[in-house]
Amino acid sequence: MAPSEPDDLRRLGERIDEAGRKREPTSGGAAPTPLGIAFRFGAEMISALLVGGGLGWGIDWGFDRWSSVHTRPWGVVVMFVLGAAAGIRNVMRAAKEMNAEAASKEK
Amino acid sequence: MALNPMEQFEIHRIGPPLHLFGYDVSFTNQSLFMCLVVGLVTLFFAVAVSRPKLVPGRMQSMAEISYEFVGSMIKSAAGEDGLVFFPFVFSIFFFVLFSNFLGLVPGAFTVTSQIVVTFALTVLVLTTVVIVGFARHGLGFLMLFVPKAPWYIVWLLVIIEVISFLSRLVSLSVRLFANMLAGHTMLQVFAGFVIGLGAAGLFLKPLAIAPMLMILFVGALEMLVAFLQAYVFAVLTCIYLNEALHLHGEHH
Repeated sequence: MAPSEPDDLRRLGERIDEAGRKREPTSGGAAPTPLGIAFRFGAEMISALLVGGGLGWGIDWGFDRWSSVHTRPWGVVVMFVLGAAAGIRNVMRAAKEMNAEAASKEK
Repeated sequence: MALNPMEQFEIHRIGPPLHLFGYDVSFTNQSLFMCLVVGLVTLFFAVAVSRPKLVPGRMQSMAEISYEFVGSMIKSAAGEDGLVFFPFVFSIFFFVLFSNFLGLVPGAFTVTSQIVVTFALTVLVLTTVVIVGFARHGLGFLMLFVPKAPWYIVWLLVIIEVISFLSRLVSLSVRLFANMLAGHTMLQVFAGFVIGLGAAGLFLKPLAIAPMLMILFVGALEMLVAFLQAYVFAVLTCIYLNEALHLHGEHH
């Protein structure tokens, strides 16, 4: 019994190492589903549009309130377009993150 | 019987009305379930690691796996030095995860289906990002908003980057809130169909099985969504922290 024990332990160690190697690539999270990707992109786009439009509305409101310059509706118009640009920027950034994640998983 | 699918999201006062600086700060079912979530998370980890062994038992295994899960998530998204924020990300992940799962218990209140809660969490995350960014890079953190471009276009890009950063406030909070709200409303609507058809005439009664099966599928889907949304929230937290730690994503 006693002489065979180190051998057993060694084999057990090998099996644990192997299991660890097998598990490694999958650790670090679930792969996004197509629906999840679609929702992510949609949320990124719409939130930027909302924030852009909201900021524009705030600018118009501020100019109306504290100055005699009337910018309405140009603040909303301009900021909404910039918000669209920011949304596209968000989506591109999200896509880049997803690509990087997918690439690191394939390795 | 609650046939109104939105009734589950209503906040009631529990106990005496409290007022502080003109605000209503009474203890509500919302506060109760938030305390419950925090208590459950604490209890789970306290029990899991109360008698640590070299060869872990079931509970200890779960605690260790979740620890490693969050650890590898931070490492892959924010790099080794992101591990400073392990407690922060870990707390956020488990708060959201337990809220989502506790909300799936019939009759329970879903904390994360309230936009106030998810928005407060988002503000917490982004404030941390800004503070960490300024602490690490000083005013250089503002270079995050200045991409490399010729001078005549850069001012436009700065505005776009600022909108892009602010839009995270909306996208991060609304994603979690909307997912929970939509899922729970859907479950309640189908449950309403079951009651309605069950109360209908003799020939319509058997049809109640169809929405019943639907509840089963949607319920399973909600389990997935509950985990996935907690995961997404935590991963995005890591990604934003990464930006504050390494400007312009020097890591990766």
